[in-house]
Amino acid sequence: MSGGVDSSVAAAMLVEQGYDVIGATMKLFCHGTDVPDRPCCSLDSVNDARRVCEQLGIPHYVLNLESRFGHDVVDNFVEEYARGRTPIPCVRCNTFTKFRDFLKKADGIDARWIATGHYARVVNGELYRGVDGNKDQTYFLWGIDRDVLRRMVLPVGDLDKSRTRALAHKMGLEVIAEKAESQEICFVPDGDYMRILESRLPASASALQPGPIMTSNGAVIAQHAGFARYTVGQRRGVPGGFPHPMYVIEIRPESRAVIIGTRDELLGNGLIAREINWLADRPGVGEHVTVRVRHRAPLANAEIVRIDGDELEIALDEPVAAISPGQSVVLYDGERVLGGGFIESSRQQRNSLPVLAA
Amino acid sequence: MAATPVYLDHAATTPVREEVFEAMKPFYGPRFGNPSSTHRWGREARAALDEARERVGRCLGARPDEICFTSGGTEADNFAILGAWRALKSKGRPAIVSTPIEHKAVLGAVHQAGDEGAEERLLAMTPDGVVDRDSFDKMVDDKVAVCTMMWVNNEIGTVQPVPELAAKAKERGAIFHTDAVQAFGKVLIDAQKQSFDLLTISGHKFGAPKGIGALFIRRGTQLEPLLHGGTQDRGRRPGTENVAAAVGLARAAELTLAECEAHCARLEKLREKLEAGIVAKVPDAVIHGRGAERAPHITNVSVPGTDSESLLMALDLRGIACSGGSACQSGSVDPSHVLSAIGVQPDLANAAVRMSLGMLTNEECIDRVIEVFPSLVAKARQLTTAH
Repeated sequence: MSGGVDSSVAAAMLVEQGYDVIGATMKLFCHGTDVPDRPCCSLDSVNDARRVCEQLGIPHYVLNLESRFGHDVVDNFVEEYARGRTPIPCVRCNTFTKFRDFLKKADGIDARWIATGHYARVVNGELYRGVDGNKDQTYFLWGIDRDVLRRMVLPVGDLDKSRTRALAHKMGLEVIAEKAESQEICFVPDGDYMRILESRLPASASALQPGPIMTSNGAVIAQHAGFARYTVGQRRGVPGGFPHPMYVIEIRPESRAVIIGTRDELLGNGLIAREINWLADRPGVGEHVTVRVRHRAPLANAEIVRIDGDELEIALDEPVAAISPGQSVVLYDGERVLGGGFIESSRQQRNSLPVLAA
Repeated sequence: MAATPVYLDHAATTPVREEVFEAMKPFYGPRFGNPSSTHRWGREARAALDEARERVGRCLGARPDEICFTSGGTEADNFAILGAWRALKSKGRPAIVSTPIEHKAVLGAVHQAGDEGAEERLLAMTPDGVVDRDSFDKMVDDKVAVCTMMWVNNEIGTVQPVPELAAKAKERGAIFHTDAVQAFGKVLIDAQKQSFDLLTISGHKFGAPKGIGALFIRRGTQLEPLLHGGTQDRGRRPGTENVAAAVGLARAAELTLAECEAHCARLEKLREKLEAGIVAKVPDAVIHGRGAERAPHITNVSVPGTDSESLLMALDLRGIACSGGSACQSGSVDPSHVLSAIGVQPDLANAAVRMSLGMLTNEECIDRVIEVFPSLVAKARQLTTAH
């Protein structure tokens, strides 16, 4: 329970349904540099979660997962930026912290289920997108152990966000009913991720050194103050003076180059992903699926071209913009989540299956 | 879940005793006056306050003017340490000596003095949680302004040789403060026979309400006030006095001392039974500080292969209240600085569960813990090996 609307209403719904509910909040990092009025993960939010539990008449605990989270999520976040990629810490938090380490704590108290405020649904041991298309969080859930699905209870997955808020009011949870959405990464409360990188990487780290900003044909346009400041698809910090808007289309850590290009150059026709995890029976090569390559990006039609152990290659029916290494690709069959992985690289050329001669 | 709840966290706080509550009531009602007022209401309140001061003084072997009421242990510790250091810092004594197992109220104040220019010296500890005397002899020299040492440790219950070391510190010209928050009612405290200069007590540890404590200030001890304002308590502690709570503190202190001997003997027996019961079922359980002299109300046990956070949660869900290290601001359990200071390995320190006995503890409570705790331990270990 983060102290936000979704997990609070989730808990309240379960209490109403007669479950024996135990509230828990994960303490994931030091509250030393606390930002007041943050919607989640601040000291105030822990207090909000505690108050909600008190109101619901259920126990509440704060579980210290700081060192594991630091290792599995924050360190990785820093490493990924240092490698010129765009990390997605929420996936790793769900995979390693929430639905593994936290779940072990649940085992310790004989809790059979683990309920969260995620907008997603579990039906017959399979994961489906949440009913509210704008809020769906399956993009962040693909990495969890498939067996865990059978223990997951996601009470708000069947609701629209507006309905969740209405329920919060109806249940008298005024403390949290109108809390703002948390958009930022919890351990980067003010959105300034560079501060974390600068505090955790040596000043001499390659990702923090100046380097060239180049076009794809090799023309150096300007210097940047460290490629960690850039992410594929970004426009901020990209020099102007071009006839078309220019975007970061690639980061080359080995030469510290940030490559910029037009919107067309940002498009990819396929991608390779690694650390693939399946939440359903593994689909076959040649199968048609829909994919999402970025949170809230539209779903795209695609074909599975290759599966090699935990590596996957897919071809997109239509090109998609800003396929960023480090982000996730999630595969769907309709509403159902098949699995996902971390994007390793995008492909400009559409690499279809060879057409077999009849 | 029908079993009676078991409260084994008396070192955290205790309920206000009925007699104490009754003694306080008039001061929330008809005797509401401000002790600084000159009219009848004021005089009544002032009389009660003065009487409370005398009574608390008697409980410590002190004169009434040597008792300063505070908002609790933390304020008294801060006042003692910072007040004495600030008053002495210009006199060629730049150092403060303390131990690494102090309560955060003391460590925080010592650290604040450090920020203001004090040299912080922390004494070495034996693995049993007692101050190493050689280290004391080395560190307490003529550069030391203040030496502060808790009498009874709040996490493991070990007793420091305060009378002996206070005398030594005095010989070397240092001011000696002791945090006696866990010691009051558990060890003999007598300001006439013992030579500490400053001593902290906190009401809610022995049946008075939260928000009241006292600092014993031996006559002649220079302290710079923390607060500035009116002339209450000789200007040492400005602010309208909490008359009701002071009366409550006095009543609770008297009751505690009157029952002290029988109470301690009872707790000692119960704790012995508890420790024996746990060790019988969990032979590799480690009881911290067991080899040292301990106050009778605290036991701190670590079972290898478990973690305190999970155990405390599981115990609470079965109606048994214990505690871990220091409770963090967020309410999570952080590893204990006390256990690491006495050389306990991190894995074992992270498994520590403190059980503290008191007026609510009886045989049944102990029987229940002896039954439940080992079964939770077994389950936790099963999960550890399974993963």
